[in-house]
Amino acid sequence: MFREFKSIYNLNWIYFFILLIIFWIGEINLYSAAGGSFDPWASNQLIRFLFFLPLFFLVTMLEPKFIYNFAEIFLILVLIGLITTLVFGYTGMGATRWIRIAGFNLQVSEFTKIALVIFMAKYFHKLNAEKTIGLFKSILPLFVSIIFFILVAIQPDLGTAAIILALGLVVIFYAGIKLIYPLLSLGIIFSMSPILWTFLKPYQQNRIQIFLNPDIDPLGKGYHIIQSKIAIGSGGLQGNGFLEGSQSSLDFLPEKETDFVFAIFSEQFGFTGSILLISLFFIMFLIPVFKTYKLTQVFNKIILFVLSFKIFFEFLINISMTIGILPVVGVALPFMSYGGSSLLSNLLICALLLNFMSISEKKRMFS
Amino acid sequence: MEKNKTSEDSIKILNRRSFIIIIVGAILSFIVSIRLFSLQVINYKFYKKKSVENKLSIKLTPPLRGDIYDSKKNLLAGSSSLYEFVVFKNLSKDHFQEIIKLDGLIKLNLNFDEISKQLKKYNEYTGFSLSRASWKQIVEFEKNKFLFNSIKIIESKKRYYPYKNFSQIIGYMGQPTQSPEPYSKGIFHLEKSYEKYLRGIPGKIFNEVNSRGRTIREISIEKSIKGNDLDLTIDLTLQNYAQSQLPLDKKGSIVVISVLDGSILSMNSNPTFDAQIFEDRENNKIKDLLNDGQKPLFNRAFSGFYPPGSVFKPISALVGLQRNLINPQKEVFCKGHSTLGDRNYYCWKKKGHGKVNLKRAIKESCDVYFYELAKKTNIDDIASLSSDLGLYTEYDIGLSNKGKGLVPSKKWKKAFLDESWYQGETLITCIGQGYNQTSPLQLAILYSAILNGGKYPIPKLDKKVPTKFTGKSLNNEHQKIIVNSLNAVVQEPRGTAHKLSISNPEFVKIGGKTGTSQVIRIKESEREDDQYKSKEIEERFKDHSVFVGYAPYDKPKYIASVIIENGGSGSAVAAPIAHKVLDFAYKNNV
Repeated sequence: MFREFKSIYNLNWIYFFILLIIFWIGEINLYSAAGGSFDPWASNQLIRFLFFLPLFFLVTMLEPKFIYNFAEIFLILVLIGLITTLVFGYTGMGATRWIRIAGFNLQVSEFTKIALVIFMAKYFHKLNAEKTIGLFKSILPLFVSIIFFILVAIQPDLGTAAIILALGLVVIFYAGIKLIYPLLSLGIIFSMSPILWTFLKPYQQNRIQIFLNPDIDPLGKGYHIIQSKIAIGSGGLQGNGFLEGSQSSLDFLPEKETDFVFAIFSEQFGFTGSILLISLFFIMFLIPVFKTYKLTQVFNKIILFVLSFKIFFEFLINISMTIGILPVVGVALPFMSYGGSSLLSNLLICALLLNFMSISEKKRMFS
Repeated sequence: MEKNKTSEDSIKILNRRSFIIIIVGAILSFIVSIRLFSLQVINYKFYKKKSVENKLSIKLTPPLRGDIYDSKKNLLAGSSSLYEFVVFKNLSKDHFQEIIKLDGLIKLNLNFDEISKQLKKYNEYTGFSLSRASWKQIVEFEKNKFLFNSIKIIESKKRYYPYKNFSQIIGYMGQPTQSPEPYSKGIFHLEKSYEKYLRGIPGKIFNEVNSRGRTIREISIEKSIKGNDLDLTIDLTLQNYAQSQLPLDKKGSIVVISVLDGSILSMNSNPTFDAQIFEDRENNKIKDLLNDGQKPLFNRAFSGFYPPGSVFKPISALVGLQRNLINPQKEVFCKGHSTLGDRNYYCWKKKGHGKVNLKRAIKESCDVYFYELAKKTNIDDIASLSSDLGLYTEYDIGLSNKGKGLVPSKKWKKAFLDESWYQGETLITCIGQGYNQTSPLQLAILYSAILNGGKYPIPKLDKKVPTKFTGKSLNNEHQKIIVNSLNAVVQEPRGTAHKLSISNPEFVKIGGKTGTSQVIRIKESEREDDQYKSKEIEERFKDHSVFVGYAPYDKPKYIASVIIENGGSGSAVAAPIAHKVLDFAYKNNV
């Protein structure tokens, strides 16, 4: 199940170091969100991080084969978790997203993303003899993705559900489906969008309408976007400086510790800080991706590429939300938004990435 | 598990796809960066301003309002301190218990239901005034101060009006508004029209506030600037004296203006009211005042329009002279009435005045003389001269409820009544009845115009307003004839107001004209007749008593215009009042 301990020296410590930097930026940000106080967010998040760290290293030491073999089990576990959430889940803010496990409120949908990617990586690994994948071979992963999309969407948590579906589609695309199918489905989705609109809940329609024009409800639902844009815009080129963000310290910014942490960051550190942060996440995305070019096993490649992409993708979605180019759908900023499930799932992903980056494919891996 | 062979081509596809996804990711990052650049660099100023607006709260502090003085710097309206119990919701959760406690400790007789209703509307950081605090209550409160966390005594400024008989000139203030301006505004008369002048500039306290409006810290303070003081042309002593001369049981008014510069020296209207009750928020008294059938809020000297009666006759005479319709020496025989068509128009003197020339017609107020003149007169000439001499004109002296009254013309009747003009109406218009409507102030101005030879000074209440003349010059001869006749009304035997010079020979010698303004059409023959007084006529149908006089008659300086509603004949009621007030003004050289 576990590799030899000495393989820990093979881990990509540069990647781990970047992860630490980003987490620490997140800590500083939560500290300033609380008006220059570790309490309540920064300290809690640090405790979680330290608590999860053993698990993190445990995962880096897992045999890739173990992960390969248990791919379906992981998927079934999250499926059970999601159904449990729907039946016994803990309801907050109008949605049933959490279940209580061992004293923690766990958001199973976060882990669904990982399990789904592992499952699909295995599926396509088994098909790897074929050059390009036809529609028929893509039906099962697509179906599984849609099942999980629906299970999360009815919580309702459209943001996470959309990410799950998007990751499923990215895997299928990356694995080499004929280009005609993604292009065709994009066309269909565009033409169907008016019908899809009617399936959305009123509050979801509302969010999209407000995204398109926040000024229709400046003190109500549009308030988030307007205040977030003011915070970011007032940061300017250099930023207002550490702890100098008035939008944050005077509480004009709602949900500043979760979905809108980027606004806090950008208000303090400005355009310069924002670009540095984007660059950091982009580098973090590329390090595992470069490794994929050295690998030939489809399973390894998909795990490394898609999970690395997942973190960067969520990062982009989140900041697009805060700067008003995407509707507010509730996607956390990896390692920076306050919240245990998101932190844990992203740490697990990074552990998996470190694990798979240290693979040398001299021997046949999965048999 | 079967061994899986990886084909080279398949790996190439994966690497190519990975490249596409990286490119897409890079493009998305670039779009995000462009957007950030637009927000943070291009539109930085816009968002910075928004951010500052978010956190800055500007609290206005009320400025001290300018004082109002009479012409000799006696204070007519000033500011005084007002202490109130004010509750701040944010200071204690138990603020409502504290209010009840306060009411128990100091008997304030608060209406808790009303207070709890009002309190809900207030921001937690804005104080809500519970009640005024007297010195005794303040002392009692201070002794038990430790019991109250949310209640404080706050000093504010209120308007202070020392004299009741200025309310119809100065007006009053409205209730203070919550926001954005924390002070009350004048809503009536001079307080209203001089609002900007008197108000001053509010001070500003710049506070940094959080999203719930709570002050985090004070950034800077700009002090408030007191409003300008206003000096009136009114003379306090004359105003008070004139008020004392108005009969308490009658509605009426008296206005005194200066012939020389149009200054309004006093302006009284009875009944009057106390503007202080608005400042003291004595709601029951305010309610009574607003519902009072006597209409004390109504300034009768300025906004009361009545038929002028015989005081109008000089205009008719002037039209006759200007149009060459009469020879002032030529006599007309008054047999008590005049006939037009099949209708008789009666003189107030039933048995007739006999032979009357112009001077006698004015002196003895012979109606028949003017009926005969009216038969030859065009009503539009009357209307036009009336306007030239200050009637049918709106005066902007800063008082509310402006009006121009009415002097009828053919055009007016067509437009408003859709009827053509009858010559019979010219007859009654020429003696100041009919559609004629003038205010006491307008009548004073009319006489000022006549005494000034046509061009008269525009009336004013504000001492700073420069004297300005308006109107058209009269023929010198004509003016002399009229003024002579008006002097004769008081100074010569058989003048309708000759009684004045007999009963009070020590008073300043005046000229003037009596008038009796009809409320209903009592038979013409009964007007100004002594037997009229003995008639049992219901009070409210009695005629208004009118007199316009000036003093001294040989070198006029003051004009007094008096109306006593339902007072009866002009000579009996209004004239003696005017004489006393003119004498007072003259002797005191106001």
